Amino acid sequence: MSRNAAEWSQLPKFPRSHFVDSRIYTDEAIFREEQQRVFAKSWIIGCHETEIPGAFDYRTFRHPGGTPLIIVRGDDMKVRCFYNVCPHRGNTLLYDPVGNAKRITCIFHQWSFDTKGNCVDITREEQGFQKRFCKADAGLREVRAEIGFGGFVWVNLDDGAPTLAEYIGDALSMLEPYMSMPLEVFHYHKAIVNTNYKLWHDTNSEFYHDYLHYFNRVTGMMQPGYFERKYVGYPNGHASVGSMTIKYDAYEGGKARGVGWPGLAPGGWILIDIFPAMTYNLRTSVLRMDTSIPLGPNQLLIEFRGLGLKSDTPEQRAERVRDHNTIWGPFGRNLHEDLLAVHGQGRAMRPGSEATWILQGREENMTIHDEGGMRHFYAEWSRRMGRQAHDPYGAERAPATA
Amino acid sequence: MESAPPMPAARVAIEELVYRSCLALDAKDFKAYLDLCDESFRYTITAYSPEIRKDMIWLDHDKPEMQLLFSNLPKHISDHSPLARHAIVYTVELGADQRQAHVVSALQVFKTSLDGGATELFAIGRYLDTVSVDGGSPRLQKRVVKLETRQFGFGYHIPF
Repeated sequence: MSRNAAEWSQLPKFPRSHFVDSRIYTDEAIFREEQQRVFAKSWIIGCHETEIPGAFDYRTFRHPGGTPLIIVRGDDMKVRCFYNVCPHRGNTLLYDPVGNAKRITCIFHQWSFDTKGNCVDITREEQGFQKRFCKADAGLREVRAEIGFGGFVWVNLDDGAPTLAEYIGDALSMLEPYMSMPLEVFHYHKAIVNTNYKLWHDTNSEFYHDYLHYFNRVTGMMQPGYFERKYVGYPNGHASVGSMTIKYDAYEGGKARGVGWPGLAPGGWILIDIFPAMTYNLRTSVLRMDTSIPLGPNQLLIEFRGLGLKSDTPEQRAERVRDHNTIWGPFGRNLHEDLLAVHGQGRAMRPGSEATWILQGREENMTIHDEGGMRHFYAEWSRRMGRQAHDPYGAERAPATA
Repeated sequence: MESAPPMPAARVAIEELVYRSCLALDAKDFKAYLDLCDESFRYTITAYSPEIRKDMIWLDHDKPEMQLLFSNLPKHISDHSPLARHAIVYTVELGADQRQAHVVSALQVFKTSLDGGATELFAIGRYLDTVSVDGGSPRLQKRVVKLETRQFGFGYHIPF
């Protein structure tokens, strides 16, 4: 039976933790708050260490908090991170996504910095500033950076945040045995989709949408063990999904995957969502890493990386690349379907449209089609935002604690 | 590789092969497309990522795998916006044995939305084709789609 306006607006008959108000996906003010309260205070993956292998190699990164960053390896081989902003007139320091810079020199007025963030040259310094301002006053703004959990370079804009290890806690313990050997990025691409970042993270946090994927239905859902996979929530909003065995040859033309991953059962699959918007996805032979960078409430940039082992032979690497592309490449079977679905959500939830409830009410003992992974995320989101996800403007608003 | 000046008629036939391949894929006439391909056909999409400083392979299929990709499409959820592939053949170089030609074409792919018909440039790149020319109609032996574009929004299932 269809519903009239009053019925449409009625609260769902679920606990309040089991639905959210769709305006958290569309409100510009909430998005700006998220940048400050969530992203600017969380550890975020900026790149992988193999993207800056040598001294003076750098990588630029658009931080989801809104700040452009430089991640650079110094001649001491330490990786540091700085605002990609000249302290003189606010120009972008490094324009290319990657490069090698012994000196970081602003194109505008040629102020120059070393890879430790020291200002090493101000053109015509004494003539212009006399003794009022000098290089020591003009260092770059350094941002905390740590390498860990598979060789990723994590950054945190908050000088007072806990360490990366404290932030992650035990959330990646299920994956850590498989990330002890050096990894290497072999695939990178970006996608910009008109949707909210939380909707993409939701997609990575629930497997009920395997109905979207023919590939996953035949290789996973119809196979033994699928419905035993369990969600586990961890402090700080992270969540994991346990392994099962994927039967790749159940897809027409598919083949059992040979190269595998050291220690992982053949056809194994482990997925871990890291708050607020990153996902480790180790599927048989490839580690995929999604990093979401929201550009607005309804615009999302996603960085997709595919990783193999640094020790791969050319044959092993070729097989991983092939496995990756089958489902996750830009022309893969699953990625387009996932992106199309969240694009559809972004298209349907428009600013100013009547508020609707987004349901997360499935309870299946936290197994694969339970929506507890999303509920766990929104509990943390609500805590950090000081807004309840189901009632973001309501009288029940609590003070922010993050 | 030594190259000989192409025979004009051969070049015309090769150009037509490239253009017919675009028309067939635009029409989603996958049989017609595969009919243009030799049994040894290999199709690869590549792109260079400045971000990781690596050449990437995004698709690498032989003819049966291409057939399978096409035949599985109805089982998947896909964007149905039509694509228009515009190719311009730049160079045709006949091999010394006159049995193969190496063809470089510029490629532009446009996408038109079903709702309203707005057209956007979806991708640019090049076709690097190897074409058999020893007797009969020329046939595609190898196609490398070397893409410059690396962002496709929510993407697409049918290759270029």
